[in-house]
Amino acid sequence: MSSDQDHLQETDTEARFEFKKDQNAAVRSEKGLTEEVIRMISDDKDEPDWMLERRLRALKQYQNMPMPSGWPGMPDLSELDVEEIIPYIRPDVDKREGVDDWTELPDEIKDTFDKLGIPEAEKNALSGVGAQYESEVVYQNMQEQWEEKGVIFCNMDKAVQEHPELVKEHFMTTCVPPSDNKFAALHGAVWSGGSFVYVPEGVTVEMPVQAYFRMNSEGMGQFEHTLIIAEEGSEVHYIEGCSAPKYGTHNLHSGGVEVFVGEDAHVQYSTVQNWSKNTFNLNTKRAICEANGTMEWVSGSMGSKATMLYPCTILKGRGATDTHITIAFAGEGQDIDTGAKVYHNAPDTSSTIESKSISKDGGRTNYRGLVHIADGAENSSTAVECDALMFDNESTSDTMPYMEIEESKVDVAHEATVGKIGDEDIFYLQSRGLDDDDAKKMIVAGFIEPITEELPIEYAVELNRLIELEMEGSLG
Amino acid sequence: MSAGTQVHANLTEEQVRQISGELDEPDWLLETRLEALDALEELDMPDVIRTPGRDWTNLHELDFESLVDPLNAAEDKDQVGPDEADVLPWSKAVQEHDDLLQEHFGSVVDPQENYLTALSTALFSTGTVIYVPEGVDAEDVTVRTEQNSRSLFNYTLVVTEESSSVTLLERQSTGDEAEEQYYSGIVEVVAGENSYVQYGSLQNLSEEAYNFTVKRGVTDTYATIDWIEGNLGTQLTKTEVSTELAGDSSETQIVGAFYGHDDQHFDLDAKVWHRAEHTTADLVTRGVTDDVARSVYEGVQDVGADAWDTSSYQRENTLMLSDESEADASPKLIINNHDTEASHSATVGQIDEEDLLYMTSRGVGPRAARNMLVEGFFVPVLEEIDVDELRDDLEELIAARLRNRD
Repeated sequence: MSSDQDHLQETDTEARFEFKKDQNAAVRSEKGLTEEVIRMISDDKDEPDWMLERRLRALKQYQNMPMPSGWPGMPDLSELDVEEIIPYIRPDVDKREGVDDWTELPDEIKDTFDKLGIPEAEKNALSGVGAQYESEVVYQNMQEQWEEKGVIFCNMDKAVQEHPELVKEHFMTTCVPPSDNKFAALHGAVWSGGSFVYVPEGVTVEMPVQAYFRMNSEGMGQFEHTLIIAEEGSEVHYIEGCSAPKYGTHNLHSGGVEVFVGEDAHVQYSTVQNWSKNTFNLNTKRAICEANGTMEWVSGSMGSKATMLYPCTILKGRGATDTHITIAFAGEGQDIDTGAKVYHNAPDTSSTIESKSISKDGGRTNYRGLVHIADGAENSSTAVECDALMFDNESTSDTMPYMEIEESKVDVAHEATVGKIGDEDIFYLQSRGLDDDDAKKMIVAGFIEPITEELPIEYAVELNRLIELEMEGSLG
Repeated sequence: MSAGTQVHANLTEEQVRQISGELDEPDWLLETRLEALDALEELDMPDVIRTPGRDWTNLHELDFESLVDPLNAAEDKDQVGPDEADVLPWSKAVQEHDDLLQEHFGSVVDPQENYLTALSTALFSTGTVIYVPEGVDAEDVTVRTEQNSRSLFNYTLVVTEESSSVTLLERQSTGDEAEEQYYSGIVEVVAGENSYVQYGSLQNLSEEAYNFTVKRGVTDTYATIDWIEGNLGTQLTKTEVSTELAGDSSETQIVGAFYGHDDQHFDLDAKVWHRAEHTTADLVTRGVTDDVARSVYEGVQDVGADAWDTSSYQRENTLMLSDESEADASPKLIINNHDTEASHSATVGQIDEEDLLYMTSRGVGPRAARNMLVEGFFVPVLEEIDVDELRDDLEELIAARLRNRD
């Protein structure tokens, strides 16, 4: 077996995530949240009036809403000072809407994404790639064969300019209104960048489309918005990856994701996020699923100081299906509070939630879930399964599922287990010649396999590497 | 107080002094009551499950001012036990066991834990003290309370010395029925080293009544506390049954059964705190909701950082007999020690159509078949009850409720 040091050099993942770049920005907002800052962002993007109005309305809602409080065991947000966060940084890229050729990117940005391995992934396995640096998408490409079929994959700012009707109808209206929670309101006020995906009726996009978000500057907030519209009978798989280096001050990531799954459509949304360990990651992600549609969430939550994220699906049409597969890893100083929400609002709907968590070196993971079955959602079924693996006695693992059942003709089951790594398992592997560390790694790899097998191979490999690195305590 | 309830406006120190005086209580106890009365203004209602935008049980809507009538408590009570143990009504216990009470009263349930515990502490006028000396096995302790007044505040203390055991049944029912009644009970169990406590409770108050109870025990080394919690009566019940496993190698089991119909609302908590090494807990609750009844179940398994080698299991199953009933469940796991094996599960469902078809195809009428399936659903819980009398009573009450169903 290779030594730990060799192993590190081999994967080079530390170097991939932890490097920092000089901050060259074309436009940089002031700290804090004022109407002037909002107007400046909107003006810099040359937005239509209706979008500016939505931003200003969201700002008012943000100012009037309290911080979340009173949740049992909620992460400590007291160190988060939104007024100290820089909400908008436009990197220095010549073409405002970004470029479609890597070679046109400024060296420092190109270098960043090269290190993250984005261009290779695109060549090998993806239908299209978008890459966001700070507040703006700097690179966007879609393979021609999909464009010919009417598939749209562009950055969200461009979508506002070029597809105003679709955006007007779907942007923070019925799916994630700014009134949903304080951070959704914040997001509505200062959002910038993100992806817009539109798949016309009956079109299947066979390879995943990918977006990568990189936060490089100190003390900034990233607020990308992702809007996916899958028309009747269409199919698409969207993957996002996120990372940021670590600075002394806190960063805030507060993204918004809205997914519209049409009748008989199928959307898979996969995330592997590895924010630096000073980042507060407070997102709102939600899908509305029409009759016989299928929504699948696959997520790996690795980094961040504190994460509060509960991807939500509203099963609106008869026979709609939802699947959540999540894995959370909390190391030293991390509080990963994540889970899933499902609203069964129609008959014959079904949902499955499979959640795995690993806590180590004083980290805390929590599964917080809500399954709501509305009166009239006959013959609905849901199965929730949570497994937690704990490495040591400084760590914490909690499970807090909530089930609200208003309909009798249903089938609801929740199960959770917590355990430590089995001494016998480790002994068995050691007796076959593995050292203690490798034995643990192998057990963890087996534990998370249900997640990795859902991901394209590049992401599965990345997730495995990240977890291996976390287990060696070599990150952040 | 955030509750917005006004009960303390018509409660006075004189009333509390009068209650305490009539029981001829020592000064320290009067002081405890008065402090609890004072604290009412500051205290909140007990925690209920909240999700954003929703309180699952609304205790703030209760009209305590009209429900609470402290000086007119009336009840019929049986307090029976074997000679080797003391089973004493409160008025006698304050005379005979002052040291015991000073040591344990309020030690398991903080009188000022919340608004309702403080209200109960200030106003309770009846109760039972069960003291089991070292090495004594006290079988068949029975406490029956029949409420005959608008409000009744009850207190129970169980203390078992080393290597003793006690089996205790406590039942609440309603005698003279007023339109709305309020029953409040606090139970503290202090289980000494290597002792065994089995505490069965069967609440069958009038369906106009409101009920608030906290039953909590703390274990010494090798001690076991087993709870049986049956809930059938009241229009609103908020109850917690819990054990703090404070001694190494101690154990607890919480077995719950409930049956809600009409517009009954049950808010049931089962909690265990693992605070010592090698402790074991098993929580199992089954219940039925019918008509527009609603059940809210919160189960907590909390494993502390020092609780090495913990085993903790929890199951909750709800059977919904009607479309309009509601069942909410939140089984929580809080784990701070990795040397733990813990699991919890919850299910909600209806009577299995195939089972029903099978039985009707064998000539059983649909109504009888359904009733048999409901009775069968309770069997795994009933099997856990060692006390024949309690099991039979519970079975009969469930069967009677099913017979009365349309």
